[in-house]
Amino acid sequence: MDAVTYPDANVVECITENVIPLRIPFDSEPYATDFNIKWTPTLVFMDEKGKEHYRNVGFLPSDELVPCVLFGVAMTYYELDLFPEALDNLEKIISGFAKSGSAPEAVFFKGVCGYKHTHDPKPLKQAYEKLNADYKESEWAKRAMPYRLLP
Amino acid sequence: MSKTIQWETDFSKALKRAKTEKKPVLLDFFNPG
Repeated sequence: MDAVTYPDANVVECITENVIPLRIPFDSEPYATDFNIKWTPTLVFMDEKGKEHYRNVGFLPSDELVPCVLFGVAMTYYELDLFPEALDNLEKIISGFAKSGSAPEAVFFKGVCGYKHTHDPKPLKQAYEKLNADYKESEWAKRAMPYRLLP
Repeated sequence: MSKTIQWETDFSKALKRAKTEKKPVLLDFFNPG
């Protein structure tokens, strides 16, 4: 990550704008035990109280790390019930990084956040339709299958 | 815009910045080698 991904200008900009970056050696206690760290790199997204909301394990190239960061930020907001903020970050992934590994999951959670924000089931149906059209082979298309039955 | 990532190395300081700047924290557990 230090040699390839973190020096990338797009990564620097994304991390600087969206998160507070913190680095701790994998064996630093009490954090290694508290976060149950077993492999590196492990990226943990947490709120201002130190509560974890999302993690990624393993190397990512820059064109995958940027959407991963946006997704981690979105999941943090989602779990804090800050749905407009979560939706904003999910939309950035869907519109700007459609071919990334994070995109299908972003589509799924855009539907979930949209529903939880409005209590209207249409976003869930729309998520199913987009996943079925653009990411048919992804696990997220399968997870969204029940939403095809919504009106 | 900085040309490199300005990493915090202190857990508590990062949480304080998160509260002030209203941003999540990205915690990278790395292997310094």
